[in-house]
Amino acid sequence: MVRAVPPALRIAAWVFVAATALFLLAPLVVVAGVSVSESQFIAFPPDGLTLRWYEEVLASDAYLAAAALSLQVAVLVTLAATIVGGAAAIALHRRRLPGSDALATAFLSPLVLPTIIYAIGMLMLWSALFGPVSLLTLALSHTVIALPYVVRTTLAVLAESDPFLEEAARTMGAGRLQRLFHVVVPQCLPGLAAGAFFAFNISFDEAVLSLFLRKPGLTTLPVQIYGQLEFSPDPSVAAVSTIMIGVTVLLIVVIDRLLGLQRFASP
Amino acid sequence: MAQVTLRDIRKSFGNVEVLHGISLDIASGEFVSLLGASGCGKTTLLRIVAGLESVSAGSVAIDGREVTPLPPERRDIAMMFQSYALLPHLSVFENVRFPLRMRRLGSREAQRDKVAAALETVQLSHLADRRPRQLSGGQQQRVALARAIVSDPKVLLLDEPLSNLDARLREEMQVELIELHRRLGLTTLFVTHDQEEALSLSDRIILINAGRIEQQGRPEEIYARPATAFASSFLGSANLVPATVEQGDHGPVALLADGQRLPLAPEATARGPATLVLRQEDLMLQIAGSEGLRATIATRVYLGGRIRYVLDLAGSRVSVLAPNDLVFRRGDDVCLAIRPQAVGVLPT
Amino acid sequence: MSDRAENLLLLVPGLFLLTVAFLLPIGQMLVLSVSGPDGPTLQHFTRFLGDPFYLGLLWRTVRLSLIITVICAAIGFPLAYIMAHVGPRQRLWLVVLVILPLMTSVVIRSFGWMVLLARSGPVPELARDLGLAGRSFALMNTEAAIVIGMVQVLLPFMTLSILGVISRIDRRLEEAARTMGCGFLAAVGTVVLPLALPGIVAGSLLVFTLSASSFVTPSLLGGPRLQVLAGSIYNAVTQTLEWPFAAAQAVILFAGILLLLVPYIQLTARRHG
Repeated sequence: MVRAVPPALRIAAWVFVAATALFLLAPLVVVAGVSVSESQFIAFPPDGLTLRWYEEVLASDAYLAAAALSLQVAVLVTLAATIVGGAAAIALHRRRLPGSDALATAFLSPLVLPTIIYAIGMLMLWSALFGPVSLLTLALSHTVIALPYVVRTTLAVLAESDPFLEEAARTMGAGRLQRLFHVVVPQCLPGLAAGAFFAFNISFDEAVLSLFLRKPGLTTLPVQIYGQLEFSPDPSVAAVSTIMIGVTVLLIVVIDRLLGLQRFASP
Repeated sequence: MAQVTLRDIRKSFGNVEVLHGISLDIASGEFVSLLGASGCGKTTLLRIVAGLESVSAGSVAIDGREVTPLPPERRDIAMMFQSYALLPHLSVFENVRFPLRMRRLGSREAQRDKVAAALETVQLSHLADRRPRQLSGGQQQRVALARAIVSDPKVLLLDEPLSNLDARLREEMQVELIELHRRLGLTTLFVTHDQEEALSLSDRIILINAGRIEQQGRPEEIYARPATAFASSFLGSANLVPATVEQGDHGPVALLADGQRLPLAPEATARGPATLVLRQEDLMLQIAGSEGLRATIATRVYLGGRIRYVLDLAGSRVSVLAPNDLVFRRGDDVCLAIRPQAVGVLPT
Repeated sequence: MSDRAENLLLLVPGLFLLTVAFLLPIGQMLVLSVSGPDGPTLQHFTRFLGDPFYLGLLWRTVRLSLIITVICAAIGFPLAYIMAHVGPRQRLWLVVLVILPLMTSVVIRSFGWMVLLARSGPVPELARDLGLAGRSFALMNTEAAIVIGMVQVLLPFMTLSILGVISRIDRRLEEAARTMGCGFLAAVGTVVLPLALPGIVAGSLLVFTLSASSFVTPSLLGGPRLQVLAGSIYNAVTQTLEWPFAAAQAVILFAGILLLLVPYIQLTARRHG
């Protein structure tokens, strides 16, 4: 902590942080608050407390179907992104191929391109080649945008690992596959796991891609919510949203356990 | 246990050749040190024997079998790395068992017995269930050693394994290595830049200078009779003084730059310009007027139990160690005595 | 199998995925943007760039994005500075604070703002109570709402970007400035701010790009009358089904982003090269 900060400034700093915290968290708090409100209309602060909106959501076919679809896609995406991204990260870390740096940038490029541009391209290509979109389209496109996260977290963990471990394993008689399974993968497991959870979260929350790549019967949870919000929402929307926030909080806790969130404080 | 044969090994990294045709034989059960300064190629040579580096030319044979094209995992070797390279996600026990698993040596029970024996040898049986990060540096090193001997390799390769230890631990480990070698008799190739280490551990020392073998032989031989100026300055703390060797009335005599004469042993046959090798521990420092060469004190370095004096002898800098009851000051005139047999003569 | 073959094998699935599912779609979009009934044409571009309605839309998008970027930088810099200088426990909480909104769906966050800024929402209520606004004051469906919502969405990006750079600045530089007579704020301004500039610039690029291409928040908070470029694209794809026109707009957006990125990359490359 830099000492000799004038006390007035220090107070101002804490006020600033508090205000910013309020600003950043307000929408989430509001949504949670609305979800327990008695009233039919969306109002905050809530008048009366009830869990009936949660009951409605859990009994609603539309929401359950959307949730099921979101989960299916997210699981597929998590598996695909973790395996493909993890393998790529291992190869990139070894830097044995020419142009490893350029390749690493290529793998991180979906982060740079705005999702809407990618969404249009994907929709147009798929329609031209295969016609109507399907769960596969969603899974594929979500995997592409989740891939960079897995690559990044895995590379970060690999960068801190002992570079001599694989050589040592070779002198101990380990062949190629043995080295991969007994040395390399255990080394980057925390990175892989964190990447997997990121991938799940990204897919589960993804709105723009899913909005473009939808059709009747192919609605994910965020799309369902968006649809409701365009017309006249009732607090059940807030209930669904709060459940989703809960999932996110859970994922953050898990990622912190696996990787430590301090990593994101300094790259 | 095997012999290792290296024939005309050359190695280049890009356009730079680092090994210029090295050939050597290691007998079964021999403890050989590769000794040299940083960058001389000794570690590269070790890695070539391990199979971690390919050769640009030449061949490697272990136990009569040509292994040059084989990767490390197909050679019957074990290697100890400078940084130990323990697998952090496995326990000590599993770390030591790893080579047996990878090479599929024996049943699970047999492996367990071997691991227990190896841990017993390095006195770490009580830490078998710990993870590497819970151990001290010295303990991690022992685990690495246990892991290296557990598979009973044909050749044991050690890459400066003691460099990361503090002085006391290093001395302990040196003793342990000597004991271990005596007990197990493994053919061992040991890389170090520390000449005292090489002298104390080895059956044979191979002194490497800029990618070539400068000299090789038993520690006593090399120390007593270094063949080149490089060897002299690397082994033992030698002073090099230019002189001219002439035939005197009673035998060969070295004529120093300021005219002083130093009698040499009758065996010194070289004549003409030469370099004298005067080891610090062979030089005796006495007060002025005694028998011996005249010199002047230039610097005094207090070392606790002893004092090192840097002297000006006939225009050359010479270091001498003396007990700390003899105290001279800068500028004092002194006398240096040395037995003629202890003077090394290198023709220039 | 050689080392090289093994690494290639590990990379191939990812490369394949990127080529087929990332590069090709972008290519298809480019192709479609110049496609017409009689072959390649620029009519979609001229349609967009020649119509004052669309130009106004483009201007609004750029204008709002600039405002959002500036506000994010103004809030992000002090926030990042504070985060870099507090103790580890507090920093962890602040990191969570910043990451949590980042990881929730943008739809949910926009929903929250819809509630907050509606006519009966707490923010206009507060404004009315303080006498700052009239009875029917609402922030919903205004440009201000879009800005507020987007700033909340994008502030974490800016903050993390600046935080990365600030945490690498040697603490002693500030202290040295203080011992040379600088006041606290002056030290921050003359030492930290210039050194943090790469992070601010990188963050600004990121925020500008994301806000210019943002769709969900502006359409929910701005309403159908305050369209931005992304909203227009969505319309063309889903309502009017004019896909080539939508593609052309997307290309314009893409080009605009590249226009910003390329000089930035050249600038940073030169500095590091």
